[in-house]
Amino acid sequence: MSETAGPSVLEVEGLRSGYHGVTVLKGLDFCVGPEIFAVLGANGAGKTTLLATLARLIPLMAGTIRFQGEDVSALPPYDTAGRGVGYVPQEKGVFPDLTVLENLSVGGMIGRRSRDERMAEVLALFPDLRALQAQPAGTLSGGESRMVACGRALMQDPRVLLLDEPTAGLSPLYVDMFFDKIREIHETRGVAIVLAEQNATKALQVADRVMVLSLGQAYAVVDAAELTTQQLKEGYRI
Amino acid sequence: MTLDWLDAFLITGLFEVVMVIGLALLLHLQLGLARIANFGVVGFWGIGMYVFGVLYVQVDWPFGEPWQFLACAAAATVVAGLAGLLVGWLVADLDTDGVLVGTLGFATAVQILATTQDDLTGGARGMGGLGFPYDIGRVKDNEFLWLVLVTAVVGAILLYVWRVHRSPYGRLLIAVGSNEPLARSLGKPTFRTKLWLFAVASAAMGFLGAMYGVMVRFLDVGNLGVGVTLAAMVGLVLGGTARVWGAVVGVVLTVGLFDIVIQSYLPLPREWYTQAIPVLREAAFGLTLMVVLLFRPLGLLGDMRRDRLMGKIHGR
Repeated sequence: MSETAGPSVLEVEGLRSGYHGVTVLKGLDFCVGPEIFAVLGANGAGKTTLLATLARLIPLMAGTIRFQGEDVSALPPYDTAGRGVGYVPQEKGVFPDLTVLENLSVGGMIGRRSRDERMAEVLALFPDLRALQAQPAGTLSGGESRMVACGRALMQDPRVLLLDEPTAGLSPLYVDMFFDKIREIHETRGVAIVLAEQNATKALQVADRVMVLSLGQAYAVVDAAELTTQQLKEGYRI
Repeated sequence: MTLDWLDAFLITGLFEVVMVIGLALLLHLQLGLARIANFGVVGFWGIGMYVFGVLYVQVDWPFGEPWQFLACAAAATVVAGLAGLLVGWLVADLDTDGVLVGTLGFATAVQILATTQDDLTGGARGMGGLGFPYDIGRVKDNEFLWLVLVTAVVGAILLYVWRVHRSPYGRLLIAVGSNEPLARSLGKPTFRTKLWLFAVASAAMGFLGAMYGVMVRFLDVGNLGVGVTLAAMVGLVLGGTARVWGAVVGVVLTVGLFDIVIQSYLPLPREWYTQAIPVLREAAFGLTLMVVLLFRPLGLLGDMRRDRLMGKIHGR
């Protein structure tokens, strides 16, 4: 297993979780430093389950999750979020009845810095949202919704951002823009990013390290530059 | 000031309308914002009414009015709030079906308790002996003043709901209602939020129940049927569950139409008022609910008009 470049933000040991008694993640061990950590895998590999478990939305069956050295395995999701874990789900990432501005405001209810300051940063990062501020989020396009979801998570001032397939189903233009933004968020704000993706080519362009997930197990955890096509194919079971 | 021009039935009908508006406004917070389908409104209202009645009639208070009323009403409000806390704790994490059945079951349990504990409540015979906490002359004068007071209370509820709509707490309720897992992932204690909402709304419903007890001065377990919940629910759905004024408009068009226009001003045979009208009222309310849900699910006032509001808030 490859080492993180700096101190670990997230440490995961023996993680098992799933739904209704069915084990999806079958004992994962990895750590995430101040980096972009990509989680690759085919459909059903357990990427979404992993990120939802890290966000504490799914209870652990076994193992521990440490966030900045503190065991958060038994904490409720709102406590985990309060400590600096931001989560952007693949679907239903916005509150459809609230406007774009309200969605961002809800994200800003926790955090120490002024909400206006954080709002200005988010709108600078996603300038397209300026014109949509008063629009109900339920009326946005897929790409606009992802921007709102991402901006809402950033309003929490997270230390680590969990992004679940942020570009799934988006047009190529939005895909390129999103990967640029992911790199920008990491570099300018110093946020560690755990990025679950199916688009391995794009993910490997921005990631520092990568974990290939296969049927709920870590097939490989390596530096992104060292991942071989063979490892990727075997991990994806192609 | 003489109130000779004012019909006694009109005072009672207006009281009913104002009270149901209050209940519908509280239900709006639960159903319209947080999407909690509370079908047990009458249970919380009934607890307030009966706790007030039992304490007022059965306890030998060492002080007179208005302290007796205030003490009993405060106790009724607290007990209804605690009942809301308990019911909320049991159902808050259930899906819509679970909440619906749970709250309906609670309301039924309240009715059964009020009927069977006849040593305390008078059971099916009912409970008399309640009165106004003041005496300004004729019964009609006392009733009119009580109508003014309940209008002030419901006005305060309206103001509270209005402010909730424009506050971070209101946005939190909408967030919890529209996507609870996401709200949890944003650092929001959603269970606690729903529990607190249940407790506050139930306490206020209980207080309105106590005020109703004073107005009618005779508690009848027949009032604990589905009628009160149905009236608040139908009014809210007709007006628009997501709108503050939805509850007001809807209740005026339903309860107002039936309890004031039809009951007071239509020349109907006398026996209809005791037999046909109450049945017709519930049937019409049920039909209204179905028609609105089928053809105008957002109600007469439609969806939230938040864009204009947001423009005002942010100076655009």
